[in-house]
Amino acid sequence: MVNSDEEPRIGVYICDCGVNIAGVLDNDELREYAATLPNVVKSERYKFMCSEIGQKLIQEDIENGEINRVVVAACSPRMHENTFRKATREAGLNEFLFEQANIREHDSWVHMRQQDDAQSIAQDIVRMAVAKASKLEPLEVMKVEVKPSALVIGAGIAGINVAKDLGDQGFDVTLVEKTPTIGGHMAQLDKTFPTMDCSACIITPEMVEVGNHPNINILNYAEVTKVDGFVGNFKVEITKKPHYVDQEACTGCGGCSDVCPVITGNEFDEGMKERKAIYLPFPQAVPNKFTIDMDHCIKCELCKDECEPDAINFDDKPKKIEKEFGTIIVTTGYKAFDPSDYTPYGFGRFPNVITGLQMERELSSFGPTVGKPVRPSDGKAPHSIAFFQCVGSRSFQPGMNNYCSRVCCMYAMKQARQYKEKHPEAEIYILYMDIRAFGKGYEEFYEIAAREYGINFIRGRAAEVFENPENNNIIIRAEDTLLKRPIELEVDMVVLSVGLEAQEDATVISRLLNVSQTADGFFMEAHPKLRPIDTLSDGIFVAGVAQGPKDIPDTVAQAKGAASGAASLMAQGEVEIEPYFSVINNALCSSCLSCVDLCPYTAISYDKLANLVTINKALCKGCGTCTAACPCNAITQNHFKVSQIMAMIDTAIPTR
Amino acid sequence: MTESSDITRDYDLYLGCVAPNRYPMIEASTVQVFKKLGINLHDMKGASCCPAPGVFRSFDIPTWRAIASRNITIAEQDRRDIAVMCNGCFGTLLEANHLMNSHPDQRTETNAILEKVGRQFEGTVKVRHIIDILYNDVGPKAISDMVIQPLRGVKAAVHYGCHLLKPSETRPWGKDENPTFFDDIVEASGAESIDYKDKFMCCGAGGGVRAAIKDVSMDFTREKLSNMKDAGVDIIVDCCPFCHLQFDLGQVEVKAMFGEEYRFPVIYISQLLGLAMGISPYDLGLIATKDKPPGTPPFIPTEPFVKKVVEGM
Amino acid sequence: MVLIKEQIKKIDKSIVEEVVEDELLERFKSCYQCGTCTGGCPSGRRAAIRTRDVIRQALVGLDDDLLSSDLLWLCSTCYTCYERCPRDVPTTDIIIKLRNIASHRGLMKGPHLAVSKMLIETGHGVPINDEKWSNLRKSLKLTPLPPTVHSFPEAVKEVQTIIKELKFDELIAYGEEVKKKLAEEEKKRAPERIEELEAELKQLKEEAGK
Ligand code: SF4
Ligand code: SF4
Repeated sequence: MVNSDEEPRIGVYICDCGVNIAGVLDNDELREYAATLPNVVKSERYKFMCSEIGQKLIQEDIENGEINRVVVAACSPRMHENTFRKATREAGLNEFLFEQANIREHDSWVHMRQQDDAQSIAQDIVRMAVAKASKLEPLEVMKVEVKPSALVIGAGIAGINVAKDLGDQGFDVTLVEKTPTIGGHMAQLDKTFPTMDCSACIITPEMVEVGNHPNINILNYAEVTKVDGFVGNFKVEITKKPHYVDQEACTGCGGCSDVCPVITGNEFDEGMKERKAIYLPFPQAVPNKFTIDMDHCIKCELCKDECEPDAINFDDKPKKIEKEFGTIIVTTGYKAFDPSDYTPYGFGRFPNVITGLQMERELSSFGPTVGKPVRPSDGKAPHSIAFFQCVGSRSFQPGMNNYCSRVCCMYAMKQARQYKEKHPEAEIYILYMDIRAFGKGYEEFYEIAAREYGINFIRGRAAEVFENPENNNIIIRAEDTLLKRPIELEVDMVVLSVGLEAQEDATVISRLLNVSQTADGFFMEAHPKLRPIDTLSDGIFVAGVAQGPKDIPDTVAQAKGAASGAASLMAQGEVEIEPYFSVINNALCSSCLSCVDLCPYTAISYDKLANLVTINKALCKGCGTCTAACPCNAITQNHFKVSQIMAMIDTAIPTR
Repeated sequence: MTESSDITRDYDLYLGCVAPNRYPMIEASTVQVFKKLGINLHDMKGASCCPAPGVFRSFDIPTWRAIASRNITIAEQDRRDIAVMCNGCFGTLLEANHLMNSHPDQRTETNAILEKVGRQFEGTVKVRHIIDILYNDVGPKAISDMVIQPLRGVKAAVHYGCHLLKPSETRPWGKDENPTFFDDIVEASGAESIDYKDKFMCCGAGGGVRAAIKDVSMDFTREKLSNMKDAGVDIIVDCCPFCHLQFDLGQVEVKAMFGEEYRFPVIYISQLLGLAMGISPYDLGLIATKDKPPGTPPFIPTEPFVKKVVEGM
Repeated sequence: MVLIKEQIKKIDKSIVEEVVEDELLERFKSCYQCGTCTGGCPSGRRAAIRTRDVIRQALVGLDDDLLSSDLLWLCSTCYTCYERCPRDVPTTDIIIKLRNIASHRGLMKGPHLAVSKMLIETGHGVPINDEKWSNLRKSLKLTPLPPTVHSFPEAVKEVQTIIKELKFDELIAYGEEVKKKLAEEEKKRAPERIEELEAELKQLKEEAGK
């Protein structure tokens, strides 16, 4: 190990990144410039520094004793910091004596059209990195234990798969679900595209399997309410909502529901079928136990008299459960776009305008119309149906989403085909802008929909609808953009292919877990290409639509990926964490406790008796809040010491 | 007098062209109704054409903006917000005011022109449609409290007009494809607002279409009239002199062009409220006086309607 | 028979530059040609305007006659399309901008030139130009002339100064000139055109005879 007390001898390595950097910057000039900087003893340029040859360049210089500090001017550290750290370490130098200067994302990519300015910015960036490198100190990587237990939040098809995979590998899994049953949206669907296999037939066995799994503990009708701790050691509080029915005692016989006088809309059927105040969401629900919906219950207690095992308990209270987990997997899924506020489509005003999810329930053989879709206004089978695509998606209108929801083209075609199978004489129109049939077998599905099923595809987004007062038919105005003609189309029923959006409580989860959301509300992955199921919080993974709209195969693939990510962490039993924590110098500390309140990760504690403030290295995320707040300058943050940062600032501002 | 005391009670009344020069009953009735409501409408001396948003803005935006800004500076000198009776004028003055306030470059450019006539746009006044004042300041409740002659049994086709509502980002009501505020004011008079097909569709007058491509313009109007007829309305109520002209004179033109005959009295909102508040229908221009010159509006007489609803007439 | 070559549309982005002179209009590049604008356009339901197509043409090059035809002038500026566009394209404002471009090429409609002249002369687009209007005002107990430019000659001067400064009067004069020129050309072509039509008629008759 090279002694850091030695005078710094810095090697600067400039990466062309093919044309990504060298196409904009003059890298020879930059190399010459770097050579003139203080403490720089070596300055090189190479096509791809991340390649084996590139790394060798650095390693040889370290091994020869030529350099004892490394600066690589290349892409973002998010991309290759680990690559170069590893190279540094393997060559025998402490990996924290490496510094990456980002001249790609921060310069050549964003200043492509201002080459002159870009060159001087690159010089600044390199100069700052060199200044910091001169002050770098070696650090030791820390290790913490990882508990072999996983928390899965959300029990749709994603959560079920994660739970199953981890449970099968012997880990202790807790599966938390907000609603009374597991299964999620997939349980609501009738068939799945493009293979047309029965959704319920696929998911119900999985639900049962998870329900009976010895390693999986289902906490349905429950929400995560508090999360402390860090990778390997999350301390989680889960609040189970009161069912008002003893879940152990309930046999699921349904006698209570038969006598309950209150009727309301069933969420599972998108309000298209009734349920009682004491209910089972659907016959195959897991766990198969009843719940009282207190928002609608009138406390007549008829159910109490009826229930043989005497399971009804009107005094039921929320229960808090606390448990430690090594990893957390977020699989909270989505909420379907609610088109009520978009007045031009008349949803909520005209009975014969329904959503895609409602259509799905109507198509389901155990749905409100036992698989024979009807128009809500008169209960008759519609002869003509128009599907509107991109409802709530790809739009800048207020309340709508900019992104493509990725499943609506396919589900509309699927529903259209299903209806055509039952009513070959029906006229079906799909009003679309682009058909996005990109999955395996999807394009073929689309072609068959047009050719074999005779579904009419009209390229144009519906502009507005109104109702024919005589028969409740819906009259659509749109442009057939390929014909360049405005059209008016009268149909019996309209199905709005509503998009997917982030769950309403995604923000709550995001705060609890300290996992960021992208602008569209979905959870943000650590890297869109290379770490699509990790989050930036170590030990927390995300899978399925919670991360962004996707279809069932992609969701399951991600779930399996997340399970594997979590499993490999737990299997190792311990994990390295970056030594970027803050360190407190108790001799300088005046115990003002400013930092204790400010720390967003509750990493700082105060021992009154000993009058000692301590920072938990594992909890500390190195955000620097305390460092900045401490009036006594008693806190320093590893790798971001005041001296290191000031060196960068000093060299950045020439006049200082 | 209205109850709330903290509302603005003095405005410069911007007249525009069609109201004072073709349909002065709109001007007369508005001044009287607002007086009854305790709001003073002052002359905006030397105001010109707004200029119309569909035509003049279509020819040369800088000229449009400069003349509009000149009009606004008159009110700025009077230190009064502007009350507007016309959707088109409202569109022009509101948009110009907005552009001048939010785009420094356009403001500098236009102020350089205004300087030649000794004026400067300062951005100190608001532009308000009288419907905005009636609904948001006075309120339908206070209006109905002042009604002494409720227009019960009258079925009204309310026509909002385009520029009252759109572009919504600058309008006081925000984005709403099915608003009801105007209906609420109409119903404060005791009349009933009847829903009809394509209620929010354009009358066809705007955008220079009436001037340049008459048959298309009149076909808009024909369609609206036919939808109103299907809904069984008695009268048309509007809040824009240009829509008013399009419906009133338009019924004559529709008959000549398409051979379809409609005879809906077209009533401006102030005329309707004035009538319900007991103002003389002669003063409101709803019944012609002896000295009304021939060949002047209304082309569809409003008198029979008044006689039907007002007792003792 | 028309040669295919003449049917090929030239992609000409030059008009884009002119349209986005006003940066507020830049958003029209997000148009994904969904047709929501055309679909709800009250004018398109009875006349030839296709709002979506106008936006498309502004993006990839105008058809030869877009600026000179009636198309642009069929928009009643009702802003229905503007409100509904899912991509926030300021559709109506784009049409207005294209009309400005057309106007500056002398392609205004006759009646519009007439109204503009009214504005230049009186400060009102619709002035009191007949005694009956003053009398109508009087019958309603209003002053014979409104307190607008009509009552303040110096105000008319102000409006005219603004018009001169911005050369709006020249724009209108140019419009009239172009109009006249086009009419003359049309007239000159008339005999030719008649000959052409007669020839066509003859041919048709002959064919019918066979
Ligand atoms: S509505 Fe907007 S996005 Fe759609 S075609 Fe029209 S301008 Fe383009
Ligand atoms: S603003 Fe013009 S183009 Fe748009 S809908 Fe109205 S008439 Fe059609």
